[in-house]
Amino acid sequence: MIVVFFIFLVSSYLLFNAIPGNAFSNLLLNPNLPPDAYEKVLQTYGLDKPLFERVQLYVVNFFKGDFGYSYKYYPQTPIELIAERLPRTLMLFSVVNIISFYTGFFVGKVLAWRRGTKSETWITVTSVFSYTVFYPWFALMMLWFFGYKLGWFPIGKFLYPEKWYDAPFDSDIIFAMMIKFVVVISILQFIAYTVSRGIEALSIRRNIRFTSLVLIFIGSYFYWNTGEALARKPYAADIAYHMILPVLVVTIVAFAGTALLTRTTMMEVLKEDYILTARAKGISQKRIRDRHAARTALLPVVTSFIFTIVTIIDGSVLTEQIFSWPGMGQLLLQSVLNEDIPVAMAAFSFVGVFALLAHLIADISYSYLDPRIRIKSQG
Amino acid sequence: MQINEQKEKNLQKQLRREAINRNWKLFSQSKLGMIGLAIVTFFLFLALLQPVLFFTGLWSQGVYNPVVGYDRITETKLVVECPKEYPTPEYENYASCPGDGEVQKKMLYLAQGVEVGDMYEVYLQPAPPSIKHILGTDSLGRDVFSQIMEGSQVAFVLGLLSATLGVGISTILGTVAAFYGGRVDRYLMRQSDLVLMLPTLPLLFIISAFAELKIWHLAVVLGVIGGLGGSVITIKSQALQVKVKPFVDSARITGGSQRKIMFSHVLPNVAPLALLFMVFSVTGAIASESVLSFLGLLNIDMSWGLMIYLSQTDGFIFSGLEYWWLILPAGLSVTFLAGGFYLVGRGLDDVFNPRLRKR
Repeated sequence: MIVVFFIFLVSSYLLFNAIPGNAFSNLLLNPNLPPDAYEKVLQTYGLDKPLFERVQLYVVNFFKGDFGYSYKYYPQTPIELIAERLPRTLMLFSVVNIISFYTGFFVGKVLAWRRGTKSETWITVTSVFSYTVFYPWFALMMLWFFGYKLGWFPIGKFLYPEKWYDAPFDSDIIFAMMIKFVVVISILQFIAYTVSRGIEALSIRRNIRFTSLVLIFIGSYFYWNTGEALARKPYAADIAYHMILPVLVVTIVAFAGTALLTRTTMMEVLKEDYILTARAKGISQKRIRDRHAARTALLPVVTSFIFTIVTIIDGSVLTEQIFSWPGMGQLLLQSVLNEDIPVAMAAFSFVGVFALLAHLIADISYSYLDPRIRIKSQG
Repeated sequence: MQINEQKEKNLQKQLRREAINRNWKLFSQSKLGMIGLAIVTFFLFLALLQPVLFFTGLWSQGVYNPVVGYDRITETKLVVECPKEYPTPEYENYASCPGDGEVQKKMLYLAQGVEVGDMYEVYLQPAPPSIKHILGTDSLGRDVFSQIMEGSQVAFVLGLLSATLGVGISTILGTVAAFYGGRVDRYLMRQSDLVLMLPTLPLLFIISAFAELKIWHLAVVLGVIGGLGGSVITIKSQALQVKVKPFVDSARITGGSQRKIMFSHVLPNVAPLALLFMVFSVTGAIASESVLSFLGLLNIDMSWGLMIYLSQTDGFIFSGLEYWWLILPAGLSVTFLAGGFYLVGRGLDDVFNPRLRKR
């Protein structure tokens, strides 16, 4: 894995190096760039050295977090830019991922269960449509319909600047806070689920889950109405309001892939003998569906979902461009269009790191979910 | 001897024909697959129709050329002057002036000697659909229907080229990995890990930033990325399953060379899966092309993505359905063709994956 990562770094450097006419030195002729920045860039990338040393220098610099200066936003470094934009992307896409995964899994489950009925055909056609729909076009149409025609949601941007004129803090703090909030909530929910999983009786389990949900709601209500959070509430609400439409659009597009895959795996699982056994035992239909079939079908879906995180990063570029959500994807696209090479390199490498981490998590969670692998690796 | 060979060939031909018939029967049982096939055929027909129309002279290049064609559609309108304050007896508010069949005087600043109350001939761009232009014209007076046809040519060329290339690469690599194993296998798997890790779209941005991407360049890039990626792993696992079948062993015992076994015994059995991959990757290729040209990063004359890009930059996308012929046809074409290929893939899946068949 580490080797793969080094190869990725080197090849991404070579890719940028292949830009004709040596984009580095070309852009250094930019009159807006002060001489000390010029020196700095020259030094950081070792532009007066042979290729091999430059690659070495780049890898070393990557671990130091030193990418020189951005050409466009001069005094800022690429790392600062990324640190500013990463929370926004993380916020948007963590929410989208969670929602689209659950809806996708649920729809796929129902689809496979109702095989051959008319509603199955209709849902399949809809999900195929949303799976293959030309995404930018669809997003623009939704933006037109909900943002312009109905006027329910704002058109683009992640906040109303007018509201933030006299704000005592900047948006990044709020973002960090919202991310913390979402993470804590999902961890609590997850704990509640794992605790209640061992309980066999359906009614007690359902009650525990329901109570935990209510408790979380009450807790978050108190959290947002006390102390520091109270002052920040309107600003957080502003950001949340701007997030609705992007989340909706991306969810509609993203859930279909999961749904279709769940349907396929689920259909294969339903052919297995133990489903027949479960039926013969007289277990209720819902229980067979949820506990016997869906559990087994979950495995490939989770794997593919983690693989699609890369695809989601891809999609984030488009989403952020269309909804003018100033995140990582937009940074990458803009820096490529402006030939702001240091920023583009830094952003591209970061996206690579992201994808690598996702793969790592995929490997680990795979062994966690599939007992066969876990047991085999233990001996 | 001669006769026997002839006989064997005939028998092979007959078997092949029977297999095709059987598979076709299975394929035609899946309704969604047939719908997909119909959509794909429709777009293929559109793509082929345009050159025919140009060649037979039914369409002249000057008017209907999707890139440089131009048609002047005029309409006679009444010249009016909008009032400074609303409401007036004629106009209720700001939006209702100029009304239907009217044109503001200050818009005609180039025309001399035009007074309020005159009739004046104005150019209609974009022009709404008419008999001459089935889907109207765009903001430069070009025929939208012809652009759609050109776009479907681009989509077919790109999709089929990149899919063929990608599947070719991944089939050969996957089979090689399964067959030789060991170090080759490990290397190939690491390589596809790396390619899977690459974020495709940002990579394409960067490539398009320094290279003027033409349509076939893009096809090659997409094909190589797709061919080295995850499909190698899937095809490898399929080939591993084939490799342990008895007929491979018997081929080895009768003295078949490694290469002979690989190409004439293992490859044909991997081919159905590869075909499936090909159909699905066409969907991806069409989408990538449209996205790139939607962002204005491709150096091509006309495509569906470019049509949406133009309608967005010209500011028609938020006009809603008033200028629907600029917005809907291109977007729906991308969606339907990609969906059509996807559905064909689903139909083929039913044919090649016997476990899923309805019985």
